[in-house]
Amino acid sequence: MDSQLLFSAIWVPFIFGSSLALFSSKKGSNAYKWISLAGSLWPFLVAWYLFFQFEDGLQGGYQFEFLQSTGLDSLGIYLHLGLNGISLPLFILAGTVGLAAVFYALHSHADRIQLYLSLLLIMLSGLMGTFASIDLFFFYFFHEFALIPSFIMIMIWGGVARYAIALEMTIYLTLGALLSLVGLIALYQQSGADSFSMLALSNALAERPLIETIESNIFALLFFGLGILVSLFPFHSWAPKGYSAAPSSAAMLHAGVLKKFGLYGLLQIAIPLLPVGALTWSPWLIALGLCNIVIIGMVTLAQKDLKQMISYSSVMHMGYAFLGLATFSVLGAGGVLLLLVAHGLSVALLFLLSTSIYKRFATFDMNEMGGLGKIAPNLSVFYVLAIMASIGLPGFANFLGEFVIFAAIAEQESLRWVLFVSALGIIISAIYGLRSIGNVVFGTSEKYKGEEEFHSNDMKLFEKLPAMLLLGSLMIIGIFPKLFTDKANRDLMHLYGNQEMVLEETSQLDEYQDLKD
Amino acid sequence: MDSLNALLGILFMPLLASLVIVLLGSKRSKAGPFIAIIASVGLLVLTFSLISNGMGEAVRFSWEWFHFGDHSFELGFFFDTISATMLTMIAIVGLCIAIFSLGYMSGDQAKGRFFAGLTFFMFSMLGIVLADNLVMIFVFWELVGFSSYMLIGHYFQNEEAKLASKKAFIVNRIGDFGFLLGILLTFWQFGTTNIEAIALAVGMDASTINTFIGALLICGFIGKSAQFPLHVWLPDAMAGPTPVSALIHAATMVAAGIYLLIRIDVLLAPSILTFIAYLGAFVALFAGFCAYAQNDIKRILAYSTLSQLGYMASIFGLGFPGIALFHLITHAFFKALLFLSAGAVIHACHHEQSIFKMGGLYKKMPTTTACFIIGTLALCGVYGFSGFYSKDAILIASYGAQVELFYVLVLGALMTAGYMGRLIWTAFFGKANSEKALQAHEVGFNMLLPLIVLALFSIFVGLIDYWPFALGKTILVDLDTIHHMDGYKSIHKLVVILGSAAWIVGLFGSLLFYGLGNKEDLLEKRAPSVFAFLKGRLWIDEMYSYYVNEIQGNVSNFLNFFDVVILRGILIRGGSGIVGAFGVGLRMLNVGKLNAYSIWFLFALLFIYLVASGTL
Repeated sequence: MDSQLLFSAIWVPFIFGSSLALFSSKKGSNAYKWISLAGSLWPFLVAWYLFFQFEDGLQGGYQFEFLQSTGLDSLGIYLHLGLNGISLPLFILAGTVGLAAVFYALHSHADRIQLYLSLLLIMLSGLMGTFASIDLFFFYFFHEFALIPSFIMIMIWGGVARYAIALEMTIYLTLGALLSLVGLIALYQQSGADSFSMLALSNALAERPLIETIESNIFALLFFGLGILVSLFPFHSWAPKGYSAAPSSAAMLHAGVLKKFGLYGLLQIAIPLLPVGALTWSPWLIALGLCNIVIIGMVTLAQKDLKQMISYSSVMHMGYAFLGLATFSVLGAGGVLLLLVAHGLSVALLFLLSTSIYKRFATFDMNEMGGLGKIAPNLSVFYVLAIMASIGLPGFANFLGEFVIFAAIAEQESLRWVLFVSALGIIISAIYGLRSIGNVVFGTSEKYKGEEEFHSNDMKLFEKLPAMLLLGSLMIIGIFPKLFTDKANRDLMHLYGNQEMVLEETSQLDEYQDLKD
Repeated sequence: MDSLNALLGILFMPLLASLVIVLLGSKRSKAGPFIAIIASVGLLVLTFSLISNGMGEAVRFSWEWFHFGDHSFELGFFFDTISATMLTMIAIVGLCIAIFSLGYMSGDQAKGRFFAGLTFFMFSMLGIVLADNLVMIFVFWELVGFSSYMLIGHYFQNEEAKLASKKAFIVNRIGDFGFLLGILLTFWQFGTTNIEAIALAVGMDASTINTFIGALLICGFIGKSAQFPLHVWLPDAMAGPTPVSALIHAATMVAAGIYLLIRIDVLLAPSILTFIAYLGAFVALFAGFCAYAQNDIKRILAYSTLSQLGYMASIFGLGFPGIALFHLITHAFFKALLFLSAGAVIHACHHEQSIFKMGGLYKKMPTTTACFIIGTLALCGVYGFSGFYSKDAILIASYGAQVELFYVLVLGALMTAGYMGRLIWTAFFGKANSEKALQAHEVGFNMLLPLIVLALFSIFVGLIDYWPFALGKTILVDLDTIHHMDGYKSIHKLVVILGSAAWIVGLFGSLLFYGLGNKEDLLEKRAPSVFAFLKGRLWIDEMYSYYVNEIQGNVSNFLNFFDVVILRGILIRGGSGIVGAFGVGLRMLNVGKLNAYSIWFLFALLFIYLVASGTL
């Protein structure tokens, strides 16, 4: 029953979305709104229902498993779905951001809105599928399934130079996806497992570990392939351009959820399955992660365009996640998980608010804004809180993610310098965050100066509801992290507890070899 | 009522009030003030009911916040005599300021937001005071920073408020950077951040004290208590409404740094303590000098706060945390009194803040003037006022511990009396110097009442057997130590003589120099170079703004250029150019068909795959 529900979180938005694309509704009819709302509400409800059904007393592993033959049995490909403590929070993230994005899009006054909504729903269906997949083939398939609608949306509803940007983004992301696909196929083939299922792979690898060079090569493919998708330095330049061109709901889903695919892949698959490879590449993880934080952080300081600033800051925050992964500890992995969810919610919220702010000023240039506090007090409150969440104010989930990652880095004496450099990020983000609040919310507006009678132009209900959903989720996780951490703990221990042992073993092996030499 | 419920009520009542005010929407301006007052009264009642239970044993409660693997992070209460002393002070000062704000903010349209911020600040501050571990202190530490940011920026349309609030938050973040790292290293050093557990561990094995960790931890104190070189935000923070300056930037939040030091006392190595002692003494003197070149009544008081925080830090560093706490409490009352009186003056003078445009206010506002003078006498440590007891203790203790710091601190006391005298003679006596001062009249009773209450506290707090001695065992222990110091009697005599000489010379010297109700600053007129030097405040602000505008700005612009042009334009685009050239080459081979491309594509994938699997 529950496993059928899990599957329905994927096909319901897909069916609703495609029906919107296929049947055009009558003029003036609101049916399409109800259909898209239902299509996005369903996965949200299912995700939370499954959250409460999820038993955290078990020894880790997947729950609500769903297995369906796809006619590709000979290749070892099954539609194998399920959730564990690591994918569950991301599954909920996808449902939450999906609902907020679709709800916000309902009132966006876009041309051909029905097509827009239909693409959003199809994208949502792919996202739900990605995080619910146990089978690596479908994990990848659903990701592509979600990626394609986002290109189309940028092409049709994007901003300036949308064709060039969509093309650049497509090439970039396809390259990343292909590298990781090759990595996944190589992993499958080399492990000698009989199916693409993560369980089968991990069993096969536990029995018969790979040769070190092969493991490290495969890890490199996954690391750089997935890294491109998460805008790892220096492969990040698609992100700021792409997001600033994308329509807001597409940017919310892409930056908030789809981008998490890469890190989720590293967290759930690449590092647990290829620990030795990860260890070989850990200097790269650390160096590039630090570049993300410090270099991109400084670049963020130079941004004058609101959307560009949000995009760059989102690139910057991914750096923490790479560092968390590089600690190979339960604590680090847990911090990454918290940060992924937190960042997904907060960046989606910021993109939503930036569009709402655009509607008040008709520009994204922060130097031409000012006085939002007077024009739209409630929108200002949301914006201030969203920025505070994103720069890591305690009480919001982002703080916990960063804090736990810092704690994990601090554990290792050899990473002390990494701790100091990476923690500079909290100062850098405070500077650009507060600068943008100062420019947007404080001061007086040039545009509204001349008007004698003051018309306030505050948030409408359709802007408030999704913003409240996202901000509320950030606060709930930030105040009661136990909700997610208790459920994730078993799986993190299972995947990363061994990791510590593996590392110990390798270091012992090294010592042994040193002795022999 | 059992202590757990009382503690929960004390912590969450202000938060609840703040949330209710926020959720009221458009009605918040009307109902907000009263909700805030009710919460403050409730807080005071709960505090007294908690303390009346008797303060025998410390109260501890702890819950797991979350855990990953074997590492657990907790939230909890640790309520001992130190927290009780702080809590009582916050509750009393908080209520006085909330009542004062009713009158002061009555004309403000956004007073709902103001009271929501004020109650949220109370919540965050109480969180620091009641927390049982460093992680929880850090959480609330950041939250007080946030509420301070929002309240400094209350007049958000004002350019000054915009810059000041931003500066306060960022400068505090720089301090918190070190504080956070210190907490993390403490966590791994001791396996916990629980204050009591750490004290226990250090007690068992003193070699666990790490100078480096201590140095990181005190960064938090330097930021929050505005010590050199992170002091720059506090004078600017006066852009906020005056009740905010009284509560946050004088009585409570800036004192949280001192409170933190008292809490982590055991973690600080002797070298760190010595550093704090000298730093504090330097700030006590430096801020005193800066105050002479300020004309804004609130900024003069802000420098005075800096200087008094320096006293607390200095005596803490010399090994007397109890006396630091004692001065913290007496200072909270008389500084809140001074700020609120200044607020009453500003309110009466229609937001005129320059002391040289006031003058002759004693005739028009006698009660306010009396309160301001009481606050000044307490600040100067005149015999019979609360400040005397704590300043006396500081001077005696410093004489015993480090004689050269003693002379610095006495000089600081002289400076204090001097600039306070300058303020009083200029603003309250003589003749009115502006239209606004001429029209001033005494403020209403609802604003005078908190002044009178605080004035009473400024006189009587510190008398033996009155609170805070009844609560603060730490204070008593330290006072006991100095009373049994060698040659206590002769030191005490010397301190009383020098201390009294300091305030007499300061107050009357400034009268002789500045005269009554002057229109202009005579120091500026008679010795412009000295005045300019004092106004420069060692040019710390200028250095920082040079760094921000010239260095940081240019580096980030350069990196942006690097990112857009070099990285994206040349490397990535260039890379695609090579691929493009490759494509042209292929096209010359006349295979421009889709299936041919896909074959090439597959070859390429196969190639990568072979490399990866180690076959090639």
